[in-house]
Amino acid sequence: MNPSSIPTPEIPNPDISDSLPFDLMRVPGLGQLFRWRYARPLLQTPLLIVSVVMILHGLLGPTLAPKNLATTLSWLHFRGVLVLVLLCAGNFFCLSCPFMLIRQAARRFFTPRFTWPRALRNKWLSVGLFILILFTYELFDLWSSPWWTAWLIVAYFLTVLAVDGFFKHASFCKFVCPIGQFNFVASTLSPFEVKVREQDVCTRCHTKDCIRGRREPVSDLVTIRGCELALFQPSKVGNMDCTFCLDCVHACPHDNIGILSRLPASELMTDPIRSGIGYFSRRKDLAALVVVFTFGALLNAFGMVSPVYAVERWLGQWLHVNHEAPVLGVVFAFFLIVEPVLLVGLATWLTRLWTGSRRALLPLAVRYTYGLVPLGFGMWLAHYCFHFLTGLYTLIPVTQNAIASLGRPLLGEPRWALTGLPPNIVQVVEIGFLLLGFAGSLAVIYGLAENDSPDRPLRAFLPWAAVCLVLWIGSMWLMFQPMEMRATLMSG
Amino acid sequence: MQLRVGPPQIGRSGLTQSIFQRLRKQNISTWLVGFACGANMLIAGCSRPAAPSASIAIEHEISPEPARVGPAVITIKLADGAGKPVNEAHIGVEADMTHPGMSPVFAEAKETDPGRYQAHLEFPMAGDWVVLLHVTLPGGAKLERQIDVRGVRPN
Repeated sequence: MNPSSIPTPEIPNPDISDSLPFDLMRVPGLGQLFRWRYARPLLQTPLLIVSVVMILHGLLGPTLAPKNLATTLSWLHFRGVLVLVLLCAGNFFCLSCPFMLIRQAARRFFTPRFTWPRALRNKWLSVGLFILILFTYELFDLWSSPWWTAWLIVAYFLTVLAVDGFFKHASFCKFVCPIGQFNFVASTLSPFEVKVREQDVCTRCHTKDCIRGRREPVSDLVTIRGCELALFQPSKVGNMDCTFCLDCVHACPHDNIGILSRLPASELMTDPIRSGIGYFSRRKDLAALVVVFTFGALLNAFGMVSPVYAVERWLGQWLHVNHEAPVLGVVFAFFLIVEPVLLVGLATWLTRLWTGSRRALLPLAVRYTYGLVPLGFGMWLAHYCFHFLTGLYTLIPVTQNAIASLGRPLLGEPRWALTGLPPNIVQVVEIGFLLLGFAGSLAVIYGLAENDSPDRPLRAFLPWAAVCLVLWIGSMWLMFQPMEMRATLMSG
Repeated sequence: MQLRVGPPQIGRSGLTQSIFQRLRKQNISTWLVGFACGANMLIAGCSRPAAPSASIAIEHEISPEPARVGPAVITIKLADGAGKPVNEAHIGVEADMTHPGMSPVFAEAKETDPGRYQAHLEFPMAGDWVVLLHVTLPGGAKLERQIDVRGVRPN
């Protein structure tokens, strides 16, 4: 199915819970804020200011990463806060995305005229960019380079301007942005979702402003945008592709859209047709994104522990190369191609064999791959929260130092001894996240297995549970390896 | 009801429309050249001058070699332009990991022989470290020197 085609409105949106969900929009103060038309720019502006400070400090400030705001904020605080907000609330980073503020400003002068090419209306490009970012992160040791980090942020701004300067709607968010794709996948586990409150109201609605936008009666000009990501609220299911931009909330003339609570990961257990997406089980590109999300989590953590250096040295000798890129390429190929093909392939084959399913191998693999999302997110949480929590307070001395370097130490002399929580305490938190991810994956896979084989769900469940167990053991092993953060993999 | 994929763009005012039209009429290559020049100037403006330590020679040695997690000794030799040892300097030593968020290690170097100073450090974690020497010369002049200690090995 074409991912961006609009499904018919009569497709029901399955209610996950019978009880009335909690609605963030009903919280006094918060509801008024989110309903306010300028809520998004209000949230974006502070992040834009921080981004500009990061770029300037990255280019002009100290070259040592632990003393620079660009590296400290990017690789410690931003990543840590991002995954925790995704876990505890939803995709609120995309709501506050500073890149979109610049885009909006630019669109006052440049109106995009093209539609995003049909061949690229999927996740394949963003999957490639996601891998590219992971690869450059390791190859150029982005965490240790304020200069490269600053240019990465600049490049992001320029890419947003270029893509959304030429192409209509939110093409960058939906089809390009690697951070956005990460958020989309992770937010399938979030406890909140932008969703219609009452389906009946939508059924009676004739204007469909949530997708078309609200228009002036005479000129027919859109005064309040509808969803730029082609998610039609009445048939939208879950958080995939939703940037929480709240355009639909502002456009809905019936105030029928809220930010509702739900069971995290529940959207992974069902396979209805989803507005703007289609069926999960038919989206090979989305499944590939999930594979990169999950196995990339292990790969990213693997790059920070001692055994990676022994592996890379051995590979370097075996390949007779001194340059890091080809060795990294082999490591990436193993983690992102060989390992998934072996594990997912074997589990799919066993599922088919034991359940007698008539589905072809690839659709079956695609269907169950979504069950790996919680496990992958658990690993990202464990990894990012390790850095975030153990370096929690480092923002204070780095900020003090940045201000002092301007000539006036307004916040006092840098207190470099401030770091964060002790690693032994953080390790307990890490184990908790990994266990949570493991349990979540088992629950999702059992839900899928029950749907597929109501009589014998264990036969479909066991092969995938075994895959989860292997990945979980691998994650636990990685977490207990001695950290060895090096920028020089090939130096021996 | 036939729905479009996403909404049309918000209408622009006459003023912004005319700005847009004027911008479109300009030669795109002029914009590209201007952008390239601007980026070049920014990059050039970001390079920093070398540290003013030309007349003082700083030699260093770290043991054990290669460095391992645990105690390490840094020996620093200071000499002036004529090769004469520089005595009674104050040297603060700071070791940072290349990854942000890790606790730095601080030490003071003591003069053991004329122009020869030693500091005792403890590397708590394996990986790449950067040692910063904050040198204050007897006359009050200050120098900074950065030493890359790559690949501190685990025990």
